Amino acid sequence: MLEGKQDGHVFKLPKVILLAKNITNVELEKAKAAGFADTVIMKPMRASMAAACLQQVLGIGKKRQAGKDMLNGSPVLQGLLCGKKILVVDDNMAHQRVFAGALKKFGAAVECRESGKAALKLLQLPCCFYACFMDIQMPEMDGFEATHPIRMMESKANEQMNGGMDEDSGRKGWMDVSKPFEEENLYQAVAKFFKSTRSNCFT
Amino acid sequence: MDRNRLHNQVASMRRSLFDQGYLDDQFIQLEELQDDTNPNFVQEVVTLFYNDSTRLIQNIEQALNSRPIDFCKLDDYMHQFKGSSSSIGAKKVTNECTAFREYCNAENAEGCIRSFQQVKQEHAILKRKLEVYLQTVTSFSNSMSCMETILSYIAYTIISSSLYIENMDKYGKLFGTTPQTELGVDKCLTTL
Repeated sequence: MLEGKQDGHVFKLPKVILLAKNITNVELEKAKAAGFADTVIMKPMRASMAAACLQQVLGIGKKRQAGKDMLNGSPVLQGLLCGKKILVVDDNMAHQRVFAGALKKFGAAVECRESGKAALKLLQLPCCFYACFMDIQMPEMDGFEATHPIRMMESKANEQMNGGMDEDSGRKGWMDVSKPFEEENLYQAVAKFFKSTRSNCFT
Repeated sequence: MDRNRLHNQVASMRRSLFDQGYLDDQFIQLEELQDDTNPNFVQEVVTLFYNDSTRLIQNIEQALNSRPIDFCKLDDYMHQFKGSSSSIGAKKVTNECTAFREYCNAENAEGCIRSFQQVKQEHAILKRKLEVYLQTVTSFSNSMSCMETILSYIAYTIISSSLYIENMDKYGKLFGTTPQTELGVDKCLTTL
């Protein structure tokens, strides 16, 4: 969670994770340039992927046993997500349901929305969501467009926290994870990603 | 026993769905998300898929029938369709969607039409197979519930009877037992 102060009020912004069925290089570059999301992961989403991704994005517990199924394990993640509000944004009902089900397994309180527009209403400050999983490819407003206002808010927060000097424009970089997907690959990719952007991490 | 037969049936149908390539690992994810708090999760997601996909099929039909064909729109619809099908692990359906999109990208109308027939066919086949499979799973679950209820009742009877026998002196003084009652309880326990 990123915390910041604006006019004396404390507000929190959720981590944003974009989902994609397949991402072209053009889209990936666009995403990287925009720096609008904390990470990108590929659909269909598995519970273990969601768990691994959240664990890394939220900066907790890098230790894990290789090959162990994370779905029923990861008490750290269970503890972290228990009761936390997570927003899932996907126009595909079946996928939305699977995703929400996976997160609920970890005790999260999940809300679902089918469009970027509807999601934005919930993501206005003060925001009560701990993290947001958003589909990159939706009609009307895609994941990039929807996260733009969120990141504008974050930039503003950064400016204020840094006393007016916005050193990195809220840029966190992107992580590309492609199919077929193995949990081990995710961890390696994410570890590498976080190593290179360590200075920009807010938790 | 009926239950065993049902169990074997469920296992065999499930194995066949995977072996014949109708389903992939993603379906296992669905199964793993089903538990006591979400006892019908798989059925719910499959239903959502078929609601979504039925609507998309209609849209695609319309788009294929219009002239000129809007390949962009077609691709959009199929993209959504493929997303849905891959969410439930519908392997063959997803593969046909991929083939369709290739024809779409090449703006090959004939190819799209032919390919779409395949998509619809696989979609219908899987729907039938899943309906039968999930129905069998439900029957098996229900039979398990029945058996669990019966076993619980028997366990309850044993426990309460044991308690009665242990405290028969006390109960005897309170309620007044007859030799027949004592014999009856004994017989019941022996039978169980």
